[in-house]
Amino acid sequence: MEKEFKVPPVSFASVGNPAGQNLQNRRVPIPPFQPNSGIPFMSFDIGSAAVSTSSGPIYSGPGIGGGGSVNFDDEEPLLDELGIHPDQIWSKIRSVLNPFRVNHTVHKDSDLSGPILLYMAFCLFQLLAGKIQFGVILGWIVVSSIFLYVVFNMLAGRTGNLDLHTCTSVVGYSMLPVVIFSAISLFLPQGGFFGLAIAAVFVLWATRASTGLVVSLTDGGDEHRGLIAYACFLIYTLFSLLVIF
Amino acid sequence: MYNNVRPQLGVPQFQPQLPTSSQPNVFGNAFNAAGSGLIRGGLGAYGEKIFGSSSEYVQSNITRYFSDPQYYFQVNDHYVKNKLKVVLFPFLHRGHWTRITEPVGGRLSYKPPIYDINAPDLYIPLMAFGTYVVLAGISLGLRGKFSPEALNWLFIKGMVGWCMQTALLKLTLLSLGSGEAPLLDIVAYAGYTFAGMSLAALGKIISGYSHYALMPWFCLCMGIFLVKTMKRVLFAEVRSYDSSKHHYLLLFIALAQFPLFMWLGNITVNWFI
Repeated sequence: MEKEFKVPPVSFASVGNPAGQNLQNRRVPIPPFQPNSGIPFMSFDIGSAAVSTSSGPIYSGPGIGGGGSVNFDDEEPLLDELGIHPDQIWSKIRSVLNPFRVNHTVHKDSDLSGPILLYMAFCLFQLLAGKIQFGVILGWIVVSSIFLYVVFNMLAGRTGNLDLHTCTSVVGYSMLPVVIFSAISLFLPQGGFFGLAIAAVFVLWATRASTGLVVSLTDGGDEHRGLIAYACFLIYTLFSLLVIF
Repeated sequence: MYNNVRPQLGVPQFQPQLPTSSQPNVFGNAFNAAGSGLIRGGLGAYGEKIFGSSSEYVQSNITRYFSDPQYYFQVNDHYVKNKLKVVLFPFLHRGHWTRITEPVGGRLSYKPPIYDINAPDLYIPLMAFGTYVVLAGISLGLRGKFSPEALNWLFIKGMVGWCMQTALLKLTLLSLGSGEAPLLDIVAYAGYTFAGMSLAALGKIISGYSHYALMPWFCLCMGIFLVKTMKRVLFAEVRSYDSSKHHYLLLFIALAQFPLFMWLGNITVNWFI
Protein backbone atom coordinates (compact mmCIF):
# COMPACT_ATOMS: atom_id res chain seq x y z
CA MET A 1 0.00 0.00 0.00
CA GLU A 2 1.47 3.27 -1.03
CA LYS A 3 1.07 6.37 1.06
CA GLU A 4 0.38 9.38 -0.94
CA PHE A 5 2.02 12.59 0.13
CA LYS A 6 2.55 15.80 -1.61
CA VAL A 7 5.98 16.08 -3.05
CA PRO A 8 6.70 19.64 -3.99
CA PRO A 9 7.74 19.53 -7.59
CA VAL A 10 11.00 21.12 -8.56
CA SER A 11 10.17 23.69 -11.15
CA PHE A 12 12.52 26.14 -12.69
CA ALA A 13 9.74 27.69 -14.73
CA SER A 14 8.20 31.09 -14.10
CA VAL A 15 6.01 31.84 -11.12
CA GLY A 16 2.78 31.47 -13.02
CA ASN A 17 3.11 27.71 -13.07
CA PRO A 18 0.31 26.17 -11.03
CA ALA A 19 2.73 23.62 -9.65
CA GLY A 20 4.76 26.46 -8.33
CA GLN A 21 1.92 27.50 -6.03
CA ASN A 22 3.15 25.03 -3.48
CA LEU A 23 6.51 26.63 -3.44
CA GLN A 24 5.00 30.04 -2.99
CA ASN A 25 2.95 28.88 -0.06
CA ARG A 26 6.01 27.63 1.63
CA ARG A 27 8.31 30.60 1.55
CA VAL A 28 7.89 34.31 2.00
CA PRO A 29 8.24 36.15 -1.25
CA ILE A 30 11.24 38.42 -1.33
CA PRO A 31 10.46 41.94 -2.55
CA PRO A 32 12.49 42.97 -5.56
CA PHE A 33 15.50 45.14 -4.90
CA GLN A 34 14.83 48.84 -5.46
CA PRO A 35 17.88 50.99 -5.02
CA ASN A 36 17.54 54.64 -4.10
CA SER A 37 13.84 54.85 -4.75
CA GLY A 38 13.26 56.90 -1.64
CA ILE A 39 10.91 54.50 0.09
CA PRO A 40 11.24 54.54 3.89
CA PHE A 41 12.57 51.02 3.88
CA MET A 42 15.92 52.20 2.53
CA SER A 43 16.39 55.29 4.61
CA PHE A 44 17.18 53.92 8.03
CA ASP A 45 19.92 55.43 10.14
CA ILE A 46 23.10 53.45 10.00
CA GLY A 47 22.97 52.38 13.62
CA SER A 48 19.48 51.05 13.64
CA ALA A 49 19.94 49.38 10.29
CA ALA A 50 22.48 47.07 11.86
CA VAL A 51 20.02 46.06 14.54
CA SER A 52 16.79 46.03 12.65
CA THR A 53 17.81 43.16 10.41
CA SER A 54 17.53 40.89 13.39
CA SER A 55 14.86 42.58 15.49
CA GLY A 56 12.80 43.67 12.59
CA PRO A 57 9.62 45.58 12.91
CA ILE A 58 9.92 46.65 16.53
CA TYR A 59 12.26 49.52 15.88
CA SER A 60 11.42 50.15 12.32
CA GLY A 61 8.33 52.11 13.32
CA PRO A 62 10.11 55.04 14.86
CA GLY A 63 12.90 54.47 12.43
CA ILE A 64 10.76 55.16 9.46
CA GLY A 65 9.33 58.26 11.04
CA GLY A 66 12.57 59.65 12.35
CA GLY A 67 14.89 58.38 9.68
CA GLY A 68 13.08 59.78 6.77
CA SER A 69 15.12 62.94 6.81
CA VAL A 70 18.48 61.21 6.40
CA ASN A 71 18.80 59.44 3.16
CA PHE A 72 21.54 57.64 1.44
CA ASP A 73 23.34 60.59 -0.05
CA ASP A 74 23.82 62.51 3.19
CA GLU A 75 25.54 59.74 5.07
CA GLU A 76 29.21 59.94 5.83
CA PRO A 77 31.60 57.79 3.90
CA LEU A 78 32.21 54.50 5.60
CA LEU A 79 35.87 55.06 6.43
CA ASP A 80 35.16 58.40 8.08
CA GLU A 81 32.35 56.84 10.03
CA LEU A 82 34.67 54.17 11.33
CA GLY A 83 37.35 56.68 12.17
CA ILE A 84 39.91 55.29 9.75
CA HIS A 85 41.83 57.96 7.87
CA PRO A 86 44.12 56.30 5.34
CA ASP A 87 46.19 59.38 4.61
CA GLN A 88 46.86 59.89 8.30
CA ILE A 89 47.85 56.25 8.68
CA TRP A 90 50.17 56.53 5.73
CA SER A 91 51.84 59.67 7.05
CA LYS A 92 52.34 58.05 10.44
CA ILE A 93 53.87 54.97 8.87
CA ARG A 94 56.14 57.14 6.77
CA SER A 95 57.25 59.00 9.87
CA VAL A 96 58.37 55.77 11.51
CA LEU A 97 60.26 54.75 8.38
CA ASN A 98 63.02 57.23 9.03
CA PRO A 99 64.96 55.80 11.96
CA PHE A 100 66.94 58.89 12.76
CA ARG A 101 64.34 61.55 13.03
CA VAL A 102 60.82 60.53 13.92
CA ASN A 103 58.28 63.19 13.16
CA HIS A 104 56.19 63.08 16.27
CA THR A 105 53.70 65.84 15.49
CA VAL A 106 51.90 63.50 13.14
CA HIS A 107 51.29 61.08 16.01
CA LYS A 108 49.54 63.58 18.21
CA ASP A 109 46.15 61.98 17.89
CA SER A 110 46.50 58.30 18.40
CA ASP A 111 44.52 55.77 16.48
CA LEU A 112 44.43 52.03 16.50
CA SER A 113 43.63 51.28 12.90
CA GLY A 114 47.20 51.69 11.71
CA PRO A 115 48.48 49.24 14.30
CA ILE A 116 45.79 46.78 13.30
CA LEU A 117 46.92 47.10 9.69
CA LEU A 118 50.54 46.49 10.69
CA TYR A 119 49.46 43.57 12.86
CA MET A 120 47.68 42.00 9.90
CA ALA A 121 50.73 42.50 7.71
CA PHE A 122 52.95 40.92 10.36
CA CYS A 123 50.65 37.94 10.71
CA LEU A 124 50.54 37.62 6.94
CA PHE A 125 54.31 37.42 6.65
CA GLN A 126 54.47 34.95 9.49
CA LEU A 127 51.82 32.89 7.72
CA LEU A 128 53.95 32.91 4.59
CA ALA A 129 56.78 31.56 6.71
CA GLY A 130 54.53 28.74 7.86
CA LYS A 131 53.79 29.94 11.35
CA ILE A 132 50.19 30.52 12.31
CA GLN A 133 50.55 32.98 15.15
CA PHE A 134 47.61 35.35 14.91
CA GLY A 135 46.48 35.02 18.49
CA VAL A 136 49.98 34.92 19.89
CA ILE A 137 51.00 38.21 18.28
CA LEU A 138 47.80 39.96 19.29
CA GLY A 139 48.15 38.77 22.86
CA TRP A 140 51.77 39.86 22.99
CA ILE A 141 50.93 43.31 21.64
CA VAL A 142 48.28 43.75 24.33
CA VAL A 143 50.54 42.52 27.12
CA SER A 144 53.51 44.56 26.01
CA SER A 145 51.53 47.76 25.69
CA ILE A 146 50.16 47.25 29.20
CA PHE A 147 53.72 46.60 30.36
CA LEU A 148 55.02 49.79 28.75
CA TYR A 149 52.07 51.73 30.13
CA VAL A 150 52.75 50.53 33.68
CA VAL A 151 56.50 51.10 33.48
CA PHE A 152 56.20 54.56 31.98
CA ASN A 153 53.58 55.79 34.41
CA MET A 154 55.45 54.40 37.38
CA LEU A 155 58.70 55.98 36.28
CA ALA A 156 57.22 59.32 35.44
CA GLY A 157 55.18 59.47 38.62
CA ARG A 158 52.71 62.23 38.99
CA THR A 159 53.77 64.11 35.92
CA GLY A 160 53.31 61.20 33.55
CA ASN A 161 50.29 61.28 31.28
CA LEU A 162 50.59 58.34 28.99
CA ASP A 163 47.24 56.67 28.47
CA LEU A 164 46.70 53.16 27.24
CA HIS A 165 45.32 54.16 23.84
CA THR A 166 48.36 56.27 23.00
CA CYS A 167 50.63 53.57 24.34
CA THR A 168 49.09 50.88 22.16
CA SER A 169 49.19 53.21 19.19
CA VAL A 170 52.90 53.89 19.69
CA VAL A 171 53.76 50.22 20.22
CA GLY A 172 51.74 49.32 17.14
CA TYR A 173 53.26 51.86 14.80
CA SER A 174 56.77 51.11 15.95
CA MET A 175 56.20 47.50 14.91
CA LEU A 176 56.85 48.57 11.35
CA PRO A 177 60.55 47.63 11.43
CA VAL A 178 59.63 44.21 12.81
CA VAL A 179 57.11 43.76 9.99
CA ILE A 180 59.80 44.65 7.45
CA PHE A 181 62.16 42.24 9.16
CA SER A 182 59.65 39.43 8.95
CA ALA A 183 59.21 40.16 5.24
CA ILE A 184 62.97 40.09 4.71
CA SER A 185 63.49 36.97 6.78
CA LEU A 186 61.38 35.01 4.33
CA PHE A 187 64.39 35.10 2.06
CA LEU A 188 67.06 34.44 4.68
CA PRO A 189 68.26 31.08 6.00
CA GLN A 190 66.34 30.02 9.06
CA GLY A 191 67.75 30.44 12.57
CA GLY A 192 71.33 30.87 13.63
CA PHE A 193 73.47 33.83 14.45
CA PHE A 194 72.96 35.54 11.12
CA GLY A 195 69.30 36.07 11.89
CA LEU A 196 70.22 37.47 15.28
CA ALA A 197 72.59 40.00 13.77
CA ILE A 198 70.07 41.29 11.26
CA ALA A 199 67.39 41.29 13.93
CA ALA A 200 69.54 43.53 16.11
CA VAL A 201 69.45 46.27 13.47
CA PHE A 202 65.68 46.22 13.15
CA VAL A 203 65.10 45.94 16.88
CA LEU A 204 67.28 48.97 17.50
CA TRP A 205 65.37 50.86 14.83
CA ALA A 206 62.05 49.99 16.46
CA THR A 207 63.37 50.88 19.90
CA ARG A 208 64.57 54.22 18.74
CA ALA A 209 61.28 55.02 17.04
CA SER A 210 59.10 54.00 19.95
CA THR A 211 61.23 55.71 22.59
CA GLY A 212 61.26 58.92 20.59
CA LEU A 213 57.51 58.81 20.19
CA VAL A 214 56.76 58.01 23.81
CA VAL A 215 59.07 60.66 25.16
CA SER A 216 57.87 63.38 22.83
CA LEU A 217 54.17 62.63 23.11
CA THR A 218 54.02 62.74 26.90
CA ASP A 219 55.22 64.96 29.69
CA GLY A 220 57.25 63.17 32.24
CA GLY A 221 59.50 61.00 30.16
CA ASP A 222 62.52 63.15 29.45
CA GLU A 223 64.82 62.22 32.27
CA HIS A 224 64.02 58.51 32.00
CA ARG A 225 64.80 58.13 28.35
CA GLY A 226 67.30 55.33 28.77
CA LEU A 227 65.08 53.38 31.14
CA ILE A 228 62.11 53.56 28.80
CA ALA A 229 64.34 52.67 25.88
CA TYR A 230 65.34 49.46 27.62
CA ALA A 231 61.71 48.50 28.18
CA CYS A 232 60.93 49.09 24.50
CA PHE A 233 64.05 47.14 23.55
CA LEU A 234 62.77 44.13 25.49
CA ILE A 235 59.38 44.33 23.82
CA TYR A 236 60.73 44.39 20.28
CA THR A 237 63.32 41.71 20.97
CA LEU A 238 60.44 39.51 22.00
CA PHE A 239 58.68 40.08 18.69
CA SER A 240 61.82 39.52 16.71
CA LEU A 241 62.19 36.15 18.45
CA LEU A 242 58.92 35.15 16.85
CA VAL A 243 60.32 36.07 13.48
CA ILE A 244 63.71 34.43 13.79
CA PHE A 245 62.81 31.12 15.36
CA MET B 1 48.18 56.73 43.24
CA TYR B 2 45.06 55.32 44.80
CA ASN B 3 43.55 58.76 45.08
CA ASN B 4 43.31 58.77 41.35
CA VAL B 5 41.45 55.49 41.32
CA ARG B 6 38.87 56.15 43.97
CA PRO B 7 36.59 58.78 42.43
CA GLN B 8 36.22 56.66 39.37
CA LEU B 9 34.97 53.63 41.20
CA GLY B 10 31.46 54.98 41.40
CA VAL B 11 28.73 54.88 38.83
CA PRO B 12 30.71 55.14 35.61
CA GLN B 13 31.94 51.62 36.19
CA PHE B 14 28.47 50.32 35.42
CA GLN B 15 27.59 52.20 32.28
CA PRO B 16 26.80 49.89 29.41
CA GLN B 17 28.97 50.08 26.36
CA LEU B 18 26.87 51.97 23.84
CA PRO B 19 27.47 51.34 20.16
CA THR B 20 29.92 53.94 19.06
CA SER B 21 28.33 55.65 16.13
CA SER B 22 28.40 59.34 15.63
CA GLN B 23 24.75 59.60 14.64
CA PRO B 24 22.08 59.22 17.29
CA ASN B 25 20.35 55.99 16.53
CA VAL B 26 16.96 54.85 17.63
CA PHE B 27 18.09 51.67 19.26
CA GLY B 28 20.75 53.45 21.24
CA ASN B 29 18.39 56.14 22.42
CA ALA B 30 15.83 53.68 23.68
CA PHE B 31 18.37 51.71 25.59
CA ASN B 32 20.05 54.82 26.85
CA ALA B 33 16.88 56.28 28.28
CA ALA B 34 15.67 53.12 29.91
CA GLY B 35 18.98 51.62 30.92
CA SER B 36 20.76 54.55 32.32
CA GLY B 37 17.68 55.68 34.14
CA LEU B 38 17.56 52.41 35.97
CA ILE B 39 21.25 52.37 36.55
CA ARG B 40 21.62 55.95 37.59
CA GLY B 41 18.62 55.96 39.81
CA GLY B 42 18.62 52.57 41.38
CA LEU B 43 22.08 51.21 41.31
CA GLY B 44 23.80 54.54 41.42
CA ALA B 45 22.75 55.16 44.95
CA TYR B 46 24.05 51.79 46.00
CA GLY B 47 26.95 51.75 43.64
CA GLU B 48 28.64 54.65 45.28
CA LYS B 49 28.14 53.09 48.65
CA ILE B 50 29.28 49.64 47.60
CA PHE B 51 32.27 50.75 45.67
CA GLY B 52 33.03 53.56 48.01
CA SER B 53 33.17 51.35 51.03
CA SER B 54 34.90 48.51 49.27
CA SER B 55 37.49 50.79 47.81
CA GLU B 56 38.22 52.12 51.25
CA TYR B 57 38.55 48.58 52.50
CA VAL B 58 40.73 47.64 49.58
CA GLN B 59 42.79 50.75 49.90
CA SER B 60 43.45 50.37 53.58
CA ASN B 61 44.34 46.74 53.17
CA ILE B 62 46.47 47.38 50.15
CA THR B 63 48.48 49.99 51.97
CA ARG B 64 48.90 47.53 54.77
CA TYR B 65 50.27 44.80 52.55
CA PHE B 66 51.82 46.74 49.72
CA SER B 67 53.54 49.96 50.48
CA ASP B 68 53.19 52.62 47.84
CA PRO B 69 54.68 51.14 44.65
CA GLN B 70 55.52 54.57 43.32
CA TYR B 71 58.40 54.73 45.76
CA TYR B 72 60.15 51.83 44.11
CA PHE B 73 60.19 53.40 40.69
CA GLN B 74 61.87 56.66 41.57
CA VAL B 75 65.08 55.77 39.82
CA ASN B 76 67.39 57.30 37.31
CA ASP B 77 70.24 56.11 35.12
CA HIS B 78 72.91 56.75 37.69
CA TYR B 79 71.13 54.75 40.36
CA VAL B 80 70.48 51.86 37.98
CA LYS B 81 74.10 51.60 36.92
CA ASN B 82 75.47 51.70 40.43
CA LYS B 83 72.86 49.37 41.84
CA LEU B 84 73.65 46.81 39.18
CA LYS B 85 77.29 47.03 40.17
CA VAL B 86 76.34 46.47 43.79
CA VAL B 87 74.09 43.50 42.99
CA LEU B 88 76.46 41.76 40.63
CA PHE B 89 79.71 42.42 42.50
CA PRO B 90 78.69 43.02 46.11
CA PHE B 91 82.17 42.54 47.50
CA LEU B 92 83.30 45.64 45.64
CA HIS B 93 80.87 47.86 47.49
CA ARG B 94 83.01 49.89 49.82
CA GLY B 95 80.32 51.93 51.53
CA HIS B 96 77.89 50.88 54.20
CA TRP B 97 74.77 48.85 53.57
CA THR B 98 72.23 50.62 55.70
CA ARG B 99 69.41 52.61 54.23
CA ILE B 100 69.23 56.29 54.92
CA THR B 101 66.22 57.37 56.89
CA GLU B 102 64.60 60.71 56.96
CA PRO B 103 61.84 61.98 59.20
CA VAL B 104 58.72 62.52 57.15
CA GLY B 105 55.58 63.71 58.85
CA GLY B 106 56.65 62.56 62.27
CA ARG B 107 57.58 59.05 61.22
CA LEU B 108 60.89 57.75 60.04
CA SER B 109 60.82 56.66 56.46
CA TYR B 110 63.49 55.63 54.06
CA LYS B 111 64.80 57.84 51.34
CA PRO B 112 63.77 57.00 47.79
CA PRO B 113 66.18 55.09 45.58
CA ILE B 114 67.47 58.16 43.74
CA TYR B 115 69.12 59.39 46.90
CA ASP B 116 70.12 56.13 48.45
CA ILE B 117 72.02 53.38 46.74
CA ASN B 118 70.93 50.82 49.30
CA ALA B 119 67.22 51.34 48.83
CA PRO B 120 65.44 48.57 46.93
CA ASP B 121 63.65 49.41 43.72
CA LEU B 122 61.28 47.51 41.47
CA TYR B 123 62.51 48.71 38.11
CA ILE B 124 65.66 46.61 38.03
CA PRO B 125 63.94 43.38 39.10
CA LEU B 126 61.19 43.87 36.52
CA MET B 127 63.62 44.56 33.69
CA ALA B 128 65.95 41.80 34.80
CA PHE B 129 63.07 39.36 34.79
CA GLY B 130 62.11 40.43 31.29
CA THR B 131 65.71 40.11 30.15
CA TYR B 132 65.94 36.64 31.64
CA VAL B 133 62.78 35.52 29.81
CA VAL B 134 64.00 36.94 26.50
CA LEU B 135 67.48 35.47 26.83
CA ALA B 136 66.08 32.11 27.85
CA GLY B 137 63.88 32.27 24.76
CA ILE B 138 66.92 32.97 22.59
CA SER B 139 68.83 30.06 24.09
CA LEU B 140 65.86 27.76 23.52
CA GLY B 141 65.64 28.99 19.96
CA LEU B 142 69.30 28.31 19.27
CA ARG B 143 68.65 24.75 20.34
CA GLY B 144 65.67 24.56 18.03
CA LYS B 145 63.00 24.26 20.68
CA PHE B 146 61.45 27.70 20.55
CA SER B 147 57.72 28.18 20.40
CA PRO B 148 55.42 30.82 21.90
CA GLU B 149 54.09 28.28 24.35
CA ALA B 150 57.64 27.58 25.47
CA LEU B 151 58.07 31.27 26.18
CA ASN B 152 54.91 31.30 28.27
CA TRP B 153 56.29 28.34 30.15
CA LEU B 154 59.57 30.14 30.83
CA PHE B 155 57.64 33.14 32.08
CA ILE B 156 55.69 31.01 34.52
CA LYS B 157 58.81 29.21 35.64
CA GLY B 158 60.51 32.53 36.30
CA MET B 159 57.55 33.81 38.27
CA VAL B 160 57.55 30.67 40.37
CA GLY B 161 61.25 31.14 41.02
CA TRP B 162 60.65 34.75 42.03
CA CYS B 163 57.87 33.71 44.38
CA MET B 164 60.01 30.98 45.91
CA GLN B 165 62.81 33.42 46.57
CA THR B 166 60.34 35.87 48.11
CA ALA B 167 58.92 33.11 50.25
CA LEU B 168 62.37 32.15 51.39
CA LEU B 169 63.21 35.66 52.52
CA LYS B 170 59.82 36.21 54.09
CA LEU B 171 59.96 32.94 55.99
CA THR B 172 63.37 33.82 57.29
CA LEU B 173 62.03 37.06 58.61
CA LEU B 174 58.97 35.41 60.08
CA SER B 175 60.95 32.73 61.82
CA LEU B 176 62.82 35.40 63.70
CA GLY B 177 59.62 36.69 65.11
CA SER B 178 58.84 39.72 63.02
CA GLY B 179 57.86 39.86 59.41
CA GLU B 180 57.28 43.54 59.31
CA ALA B 181 59.39 44.50 56.37
CA PRO B 182 57.10 45.73 53.59
CA LEU B 183 56.22 43.01 51.13
CA LEU B 184 57.36 44.98 48.11
CA ASP B 185 60.79 45.35 49.69
CA ILE B 186 61.09 41.58 49.90
CA VAL B 187 59.80 41.21 46.35
CA ALA B 188 62.41 43.69 45.18
CA TYR B 189 65.27 41.94 46.95
CA ALA B 190 64.12 38.63 45.55
CA GLY B 191 63.95 40.05 42.06
CA TYR B 192 67.59 41.04 42.02
CA THR B 193 68.51 37.41 41.41
CA PHE B 194 67.33 37.82 37.85
CA ALA B 195 70.10 40.30 37.15
CA GLY B 196 72.75 37.68 37.80
CA MET B 197 70.58 35.05 36.16
CA SER B 198 70.35 37.07 32.94
CA LEU B 199 74.11 37.41 32.72
CA ALA B 200 74.49 33.70 33.26
CA ALA B 201 71.94 33.04 30.50
CA LEU B 202 73.83 35.42 28.22
CA GLY B 203 77.01 33.53 28.94
CA LYS B 204 75.27 30.29 28.08
CA ILE B 205 74.25 31.69 24.71
CA ILE B 206 77.70 32.93 23.86
CA SER B 207 79.59 29.83 24.90
CA GLY B 208 78.25 26.69 26.50
CA TYR B 209 81.17 26.19 28.86
CA SER B 210 81.23 29.64 30.35
CA HIS B 211 77.87 28.74 31.84
CA TYR B 212 79.56 26.36 34.28
CA ALA B 213 81.83 29.12 35.53
CA LEU B 214 79.40 32.02 35.53
CA MET B 215 76.57 30.24 37.30
CA PRO B 216 78.33 29.50 40.62
CA TRP B 217 79.94 32.91 40.49
CA PHE B 218 76.63 34.75 40.32
CA CYS B 219 75.17 32.38 42.85
CA LEU B 220 77.86 33.38 45.26
CA CYS B 221 77.45 37.06 44.51
CA MET B 222 73.71 36.92 45.00
CA GLY B 223 74.22 35.03 48.24
CA ILE B 224 76.58 37.69 49.56
CA PHE B 225 74.25 40.46 48.48
CA LEU B 226 71.26 38.88 50.16
CA VAL B 227 73.17 38.13 53.33
CA LYS B 228 74.40 41.68 53.66
CA THR B 229 70.99 43.12 52.89
CA MET B 230 69.04 40.82 55.14
CA LYS B 231 71.45 41.44 57.97
CA ARG B 232 70.58 45.11 57.86
CA VAL B 233 66.89 44.39 57.45
CA LEU B 234 66.96 42.03 60.39
CA PHE B 235 68.80 44.49 62.55
CA ALA B 236 66.25 47.12 61.72
CA GLU B 237 63.24 44.95 62.42
CA VAL B 238 64.05 42.48 65.15
CA ARG B 239 64.32 43.61 68.74
CA SER B 240 66.32 40.89 70.42
CA TYR B 241 69.62 39.99 68.96
CA ASP B 242 69.98 36.24 68.96
CA SER B 243 73.33 35.86 67.35
CA SER B 244 73.66 32.23 66.42
CA LYS B 245 70.14 31.83 65.07
CA HIS B 246 70.60 34.91 62.90
CA HIS B 247 73.80 33.61 61.46
CA TYR B 248 72.44 30.17 60.71
CA LEU B 249 69.48 31.65 58.89
CA LEU B 250 71.67 33.96 56.87
CA LEU B 251 73.88 31.05 55.92
CA PHE B 252 70.81 29.09 54.92
CA ILE B 253 69.70 31.93 52.66
CA ALA B 254 73.07 32.00 50.98
CA LEU B 255 73.16 28.23 50.49
CA ALA B 256 69.60 28.12 49.16
CA GLN B 257 70.65 30.27 46.25
CA PHE B 258 72.49 27.37 44.67
CA PRO B 259 69.54 25.06 44.00
CA LEU B 260 67.44 28.03 42.93
CA PHE B 261 70.00 29.18 40.40
CA MET B 262 70.52 25.69 39.11
CA TRP B 263 66.82 25.25 38.64
CA LEU B 264 66.30 28.59 36.91
CA GLY B 265 69.47 28.33 34.92
CA ASN B 266 68.52 25.02 33.44
CA ILE B 267 66.52 26.46 30.61
CA THR B 268 64.12 23.83 29.39
CA VAL B 269 60.41 23.46 28.86
CA ASN B 270 59.85 20.93 31.62
CA TRP B 271 59.68 21.61 35.32
CA PHE B 272 62.94 20.05 36.38
CA ILE B 273 64.91 18.46 33.62
